[in-house]
Amino acid sequence: MRKTWTILTLHLKKFFKSPGAIVLMFVMPALFSYIFGGMTVKSQETKPLVNVVVGQGEFSTEVYKLLKKNNQYNWKKATLQQAKNNVFEQDAIAAIVIPDDLGQRITEQKPLFDVVIQRKTEQYYALNPYIQGAAGLILRSYHTAALSEPAAFPKLLEAVTVNKGIEIEKQMIQKEQNDKADINLMFVGFAIMFMMFGLSGAASTILDERIGGTWGRLMISPATRIQVILGYILSYFLVGWIQLGVLMMAMSLMFDIGWGNLAYLIPFASLVILMVVGFGLMIAGLVKTKQQASAISAVLIVSTCMLGGLYWPIEIMPDFMQTIALGVPQSWAMGGFKEIVSGSLRMVTIWKDAGALIGFSLVFFFLGLRGIKFE
Amino acid sequence: MTKNGEVMNVNMLTVQDLRKSFGQFEAVKGVSFSVEKGESFGLLGPNGAGKSTTINMITGLYPPTAGTIQVKDIDVIKNAKQAQKWIGVVPQEIALYQEMSARENLKFWGRMYNLSGKALEKSIDEVLEIIGLTDRSKDKVETFSGGMKRRVNIGAAILHRPDMLIMDEPTVGIDPQSRNHILETVKRLNSEGMTIIYTSHYMEEVEYLCERIGIIDHGELIASGTLKELRETIGDRSRINLTLDSNATDTGKITAALEGLFLEKDLQLQDYLLTAFHKEPQSVLSEIIQRVTKTGARVSSVDIVEPNLESIFLHLTGRSLRD
Ligand SMILES: Nc1ncnc2c1ncn2[C@@H]1O[C@H](COP(=O)(O)OP(=O)(O)OP(=O)(O)O)[C@@H](O)[C@H]1O
Ligand SMILES: [Mg+2]
Repeated sequence: MRKTWTILTLHLKKFFKSPGAIVLMFVMPALFSYIFGGMTVKSQETKPLVNVVVGQGEFSTEVYKLLKKNNQYNWKKATLQQAKNNVFEQDAIAAIVIPDDLGQRITEQKPLFDVVIQRKTEQYYALNPYIQGAAGLILRSYHTAALSEPAAFPKLLEAVTVNKGIEIEKQMIQKEQNDKADINLMFVGFAIMFMMFGLSGAASTILDERIGGTWGRLMISPATRIQVILGYILSYFLVGWIQLGVLMMAMSLMFDIGWGNLAYLIPFASLVILMVVGFGLMIAGLVKTKQQASAISAVLIVSTCMLGGLYWPIEIMPDFMQTIALGVPQSWAMGGFKEIVSGSLRMVTIWKDAGALIGFSLVFFFLGLRGIKFE
Repeated sequence: MTKNGEVMNVNMLTVQDLRKSFGQFEAVKGVSFSVEKGESFGLLGPNGAGKSTTINMITGLYPPTAGTIQVKDIDVIKNAKQAQKWIGVVPQEIALYQEMSARENLKFWGRMYNLSGKALEKSIDEVLEIIGLTDRSKDKVETFSGGMKRRVNIGAAILHRPDMLIMDEPTVGIDPQSRNHILETVKRLNSEGMTIIYTSHYMEEVEYLCERIGIIDHGELIASGTLKELRETIGDRSRINLTLDSNATDTGKITAALEGLFLEKDLQLQDYLLTAFHKEPQSVLSEIIQRVTKTGARVSSVDIVEPNLESIFLHLTGRSLRD
């Protein structure tokens, strides 16, 4: 075990002595997150447009006022035709049609609003809970009113619109958190991508060492193969953890970002890092030189990261792409991180994601260890 | 370096009918030899002879295609890790972590050979002294000259005071001063009881260092013995080298003219270079020149070489050790 430790520390030292590796693992993800994160924040500043088709119905104006309480969006009245056009041109993220027969819909327990969208964009996903919330509020007001006196409903609705700003505030906070989780996930995504670059580069130094002779020298020392390979693997694993840990901590300190429950985060992140180490080992096992390794890994990493939803939420991709994405480990990694970082913590999903990551790791390690020549 | 309880087998290394093929190509074709405890054994041969391949099998790096290797009474093929503790290896290529300092490298390799703590530090200091790099020990290996790297390469192999030190052409490409220093170091380690196996294609080194020598060519051990024994295979005769001018095209005519002076196997003529072996070269020299001149060729230079490994190799293979 002492030999494994010696090998591990040597490679940690070697790794952190190389400025290229530092840039790749720490500076690049921070830079990417800064640039892309900045873009996200900016697009929030110019509020997205939501058209509201306010019909002739008796409560329409009150409902419109209620919706407008959320100042995250630029709510604008429009005719149905205008609204549809705007949505089609993607000028408005959605159009909400307040039906004339709102009262009837309430009693018949039908959906309160018609929502027109082009496709389910990320912004729509953010908007949706708010609309639902508003609808819920209207329903509750109606039922409350019905208990006393049906005629009280318009009054009550008016009162709600004036006073229940607090409830709407809550919705907004909720929404902000969701958005933050998205940005957090983007940071994680970039960290994973550059970890893949960094660790597959590190693992392919085994190939350089084979040519340089230090690998052979290790093989003819009293250190066993298991001690040697374990030293390498653990050093990569530790490098991965140091990267993710430092980046996450830096984000927390600088932007006051939370990463969810650590009791879930740490084991899950460990699985993700293990998968990345396996990936690097597999690349090193499949090729002969470091040049080949970096060429192959560049192509593999970029394509699978796109597919796996590291650059954008996987939900915005077409369905068939989402299906293909199941075949890349990153989609599972991001899925699990999303559950943990957003705090929703659906255990079934997390277990599935963890299981998939273990599966990928097993395959990667098998291919990698089989490919590495011990002479 | 003898330890208690190892008196059963006086052989440090026994190699029997060792073979190694790379695909269709057989690089080592049935090599057998043994090295006694405390002995220094030289493996001499030209480029591509199979020296490194043989060494790499002994150290347990390559599995042999056939044959057996024993270090003390351990079967290397079955139990390499046991034998490797006793062996120090200086690989032909410099096998060090270039971005680490000399000391860091020595520390790393020392730990791989089970050293630690104070014993390791002490050994590193001693080795740095031996290889003459004490004052450069904190510098990165990549900033060293070729000769200094070679010395660290050797240092990493002797940290654990191996019973047997295997060196694969450790002096390639370094200046005469460093080379002498290395040779002296090896000689001293040997005199302190360390068994040495030394491969080289420099006969001077092998002559200086090794009590017994094996000559290897095309994967075969074509001769082995002490320097004296090997000299006797060429009858302790000196070598006469004559360089002929461009008129010496008819080799048959010239060799015929020299009939009676030498045995046929002791005479070679190739590319205007005539080589012959004789006990008393001075006595026949004028006769040779006369006879050659009569054929119409002319002698442009004459050289007489005392019997050495170079001539032995030439005698055995018809080729010179270094082309
Ligand atoms: N890994 C290998 N794969 C294929 N052929 C090899 C391999 N290693 C050595 N050979 C071949 O085996 C032969 C012997 O090589 P080896 O390295 O043992 O020679 P050597 O005596 O050490 O030569 P040198 O003095 O140049 O170091 C050469 O023809 C070489 O091309
Ligand atoms: Mg060699």
